[in-house]
Amino acid sequence: MSSITRRSALALGLSAGTAALLGACSTPGTNSVNSVATIPAAQPGEKITLTYWAWLKDLQKVCDVWNAQHPLIQVEAVWTPGGNSGGYQKMYSALAAGGGPDLAQVELRSIPEFMLVNGLVDVSRYGAKQYAERYDPTLWNQVSYLDGVYGIPQDAGPMALYYRQDLFQKIGATPPTSWQDWATIAAELRKAGSYIDCFALADSSWFAALATQAGASWLKAEHDGWTINMTDRATLEVAEFFDRAIDKDLVTTNYGQYSAPWFAAAANGQIASLSSASWGDALLQGVSGASGKWRVAALPRWTGKGFGSSYVGGSTAAVFAHSKHPQEALEFAVWMTTSREGIDAMIANSGIGWSPSKDYIGAQRQQPSAFFGGQDYNQQIFLPATKQQNPDWSWWPLTQQSFEILSDGFRKKASGTSLVSSVKLAEQNIIEAFKNKGLSIRKVTS
Amino acid sequence: MSSRKTASRQLTAAPWLLLAPFLALFVLTFVLPILVAIGSSFTKVTRNGLFGEQGVQTDFAWFSNYAQALANGNFLASIGRMLLFGVVQVTLMIALCTLLALLLESASARWPGFFRAVYFLPYGIPGVIATILWSFLYVPGLSPLVDLGKVFGLQLDFLGAGSVLWSIANIVTWTYTGYNMMIIVAQLKSIPTEVYEAAKVDGASPWRVARSIQLPLIRPALVLTTVFSIIGTLQLFVEPQVLKSVAPTIDSEYTPNLSAYATAFAYNDYNVAAAQAVLIALVAFLLSFIFLRLTNRKSR
Repeated sequence: MSSITRRSALALGLSAGTAALLGACSTPGTNSVNSVATIPAAQPGEKITLTYWAWLKDLQKVCDVWNAQHPLIQVEAVWTPGGNSGGYQKMYSALAAGGGPDLAQVELRSIPEFMLVNGLVDVSRYGAKQYAERYDPTLWNQVSYLDGVYGIPQDAGPMALYYRQDLFQKIGATPPTSWQDWATIAAELRKAGSYIDCFALADSSWFAALATQAGASWLKAEHDGWTINMTDRATLEVAEFFDRAIDKDLVTTNYGQYSAPWFAAAANGQIASLSSASWGDALLQGVSGASGKWRVAALPRWTGKGFGSSYVGGSTAAVFAHSKHPQEALEFAVWMTTSREGIDAMIANSGIGWSPSKDYIGAQRQQPSAFFGGQDYNQQIFLPATKQQNPDWSWWPLTQQSFEILSDGFRKKASGTSLVSSVKLAEQNIIEAFKNKGLSIRKVTS
Repeated sequence: MSSRKTASRQLTAAPWLLLAPFLALFVLTFVLPILVAIGSSFTKVTRNGLFGEQGVQTDFAWFSNYAQALANGNFLASIGRMLLFGVVQVTLMIALCTLLALLLESASARWPGFFRAVYFLPYGIPGVIATILWSFLYVPGLSPLVDLGKVFGLQLDFLGAGSVLWSIANIVTWTYTGYNMMIIVAQLKSIPTEVYEAAKVDGASPWRVARSIQLPLIRPALVLTTVFSIIGTLQLFVEPQVLKSVAPTIDSEYTPNLSAYATAFAYNDYNVAAAQAVLIALVAFLLSFIFLRLTNRKSR
């Protein structure tokens, strides 16, 4: 009779354990909550508590306004680190473990990534479409996929040009209306010792925003799969434009907007302007000695094409897959982002970007600003900007990876690789990444 | 008879009982994660529809995740970069910490306790903070070093494509030299005084003492610190991750660990990330093994 030696027993145990693990290793989030029956609203008189994970500061104070009016539906805010700085990792892990909050802050561009792990509730099944009218149509378009609605827009970032009035006056310039003008002024500013802006090689979302403005629309969800077109004329012309701007030293690539060296340069008058989103106003106030010097103008336009403005950033309140009360979570999200008291509370406590509501920008934003030399910049510049955006742009499930791929290409600009060739290469790599994820994608040519 | 048998059984059960808390934690936090990672590296997810809404399958994928990890030029480049980094940085650091330890333990050293503490101090600063501190010395426009260089007509570029790796090496060396020095000092202190006395009687110079007595006797400490440093090199993560925000040339997959991190958390591809992690562990194992083999052979 053969006896089992200790070693073979151990090997047997190990392999059995591995096999069991492999079997149990089915990827989390493989079953969609959107294919099962909807969860009915809470019983009348039943008291429920919703949790809301977000990186907005003092969000609890906003929730408290709602809580005071709705004793039966209490909302509890839990602070998480910002999206890619750890917040998303935490959310993905919670979703994978079958838990998570009722609501969470998810950037517009990350909605499809959360859909890919079946993490979001299609709130159109709970009647979200009836609220569409209240929102900025561009934003609503960016939360709508496959005839469903996967998040409630919470804030946005329409773009404009912030500039130093004194530095522009010194060279006798007025804010540029076209990117051509911008390049001319940039050359003048260089002679006076300032840069007109920086070009962050490590963050391609700014480039994407300006390509969007020029009319690009990189990826689209079609019925037979994703289509990609990153090498359209608009994108390549924007890439060529900034290739020239970097080669002629019109912009600096040493740092990105709002980084520590940028703040140092801005305080020294070495940065004369920046094209940025509406939420940049709060960050600009961190530049020492900046008060009263800065003004806001419309974003320069691409000659003969594109739109008046663009957008960077923006987030949503998304209902998470394991929420037990999606109906109430939706109601709260809509209240917070469209009611006057909700928007005002978010601006006052959380300092959100632009209001997602079509009709109300917030009481605080309807008055002149002392920081911008008494300019009523929100109504003058940003409100029109929200109406001049590219409505066709939509996000895709590999946004973060795509931006990393593009940035990794841009970083090689320092060693002589042009932005144009990086964009072309990035398109191929993104197609590859989609295929590795098991998603179908095809290239379209314009 | 039966009572004696149970007593002996209790005797053999006792160590297991005492070990149980440790073993439970060991299995839960060490063995299981490794098995899960290995298991995960052999599975692949396929999706139907635009977002996988028409079904998601998880299948056994043989080595396709490994193939994908190895086909990723960035990942391979990062391993090559770390090998280069290791050869230069580990050698420099071990030489430096040995020198410091010998100087501090030499008979003519002044205030050895004070200087030990000073050299060890950088290790007490978390990597993130250390990198932020150093980044202020690296970034043009903020750095007094760059300004000073300009005075002497030098164009210092700490964050350029060719130099940033050595700027990271500098931070790592700064942080860990004192720590490794302590290990070597501990071994130096264990050398019996009789040996020194004998050398003194024979008229050996301090240089001769260092070469013929101290260096051979601290071999185990040198081997230990070198192996730790080799493994540490492959795990490099914090310094490039933090420095990335000011150094555009550091990409998202600059080191092997950064690559696995980006794959897992930015790209949400845990299976390929698991394959990368297994590969990193294998390389670390291989390098340590080769190094130990070489040093063992020499000593025979």
